Amino acid sequence: MTFDFEAAGATKAAGVAQAPGCGRANALRVPATIDSLEPVSDFVLGLGKQARLPESSLYRLRLAADELATNIVLHGYRGEPGEITVDGGIDPGDVWVRFQDDAPAFDPRQGMRAPALDVPLAEREIGGLGVFLAFTAVDTFEYELVAGRNVSTLVMRRPTVQ
Amino acid sequence: MAFDVRLRINDKVATIELSGELDASTAGEFHDTVSQAAGAGAVELVIRAEQLGYLSSAGLRSLVVARQKMGDEVRIAVVGASEPVARTIRLAGFDHSIDLVDA
Repeated sequence: MTFDFEAAGATKAAGVAQAPGCGRANALRVPATIDSLEPVSDFVLGLGKQARLPESSLYRLRLAADELATNIVLHGYRGEPGEITVDGGIDPGDVWVRFQDDAPAFDPRQGMRAPALDVPLAEREIGGLGVFLAFTAVDTFEYELVAGRNVSTLVMRRPTVQ
Repeated sequence: MAFDVRLRINDKVATIELSGELDASTAGEFHDTVSQAAGAGAVELVIRAEQLGYLSSAGLRSLVVARQKMGDEVRIAVVGASEPVARTIRLAGFDHSIDLVDA
């Protein structure tokens, strides 16, 4: 398993710091509660629309973000009070959304489980399904623990021809 | 879009009509409705999804519960799901025990 968030993150951070007009960046801080899923979705949909993602990519980016946020609320903080910071930006080739939280260190991808198609649905253990959907929805799903914070980044490629 | 769920039971066929967005914040309502349908002794569960704009794994969990509570002999159908909603159901492998039907 490889992590290349450091390099990518540094590039993104540089992009964020640049003047507006060459890559939009925005941030959202919300309490780690189920009620925050809606503002997170709105944020991601707004960003994706701005990036002119096609409908199916927009839907999948939102799905991934929603599943990841749900995972942080339910399995990261486990009902304890906390906060989630979401930021994102648009680069020429892709749209990225980054989640940061202070829940105990947890790589969401470790909880990922592909559906057990050979097991009858009624007996299916479906924990890990949300992260599986998130992982398959986007082009890149990275995680890193940075100074004790969980940092997950979703990347969706933009169509090359505008 | 606000989430709404309606249940109708006719001749042992339970029909659940979904509209809006089904995520972890709204799945509880769907979950309760599925339990109600199962408790009513329906022999078929039809989920109308034409107006369902979004479905996450939280909503899929309720489909598993429906399958668990209603038993193997009950047909469960999801009717008129949009392409991304149907894709999610297929990706999760639920289409083996739940019929995906065009409207």
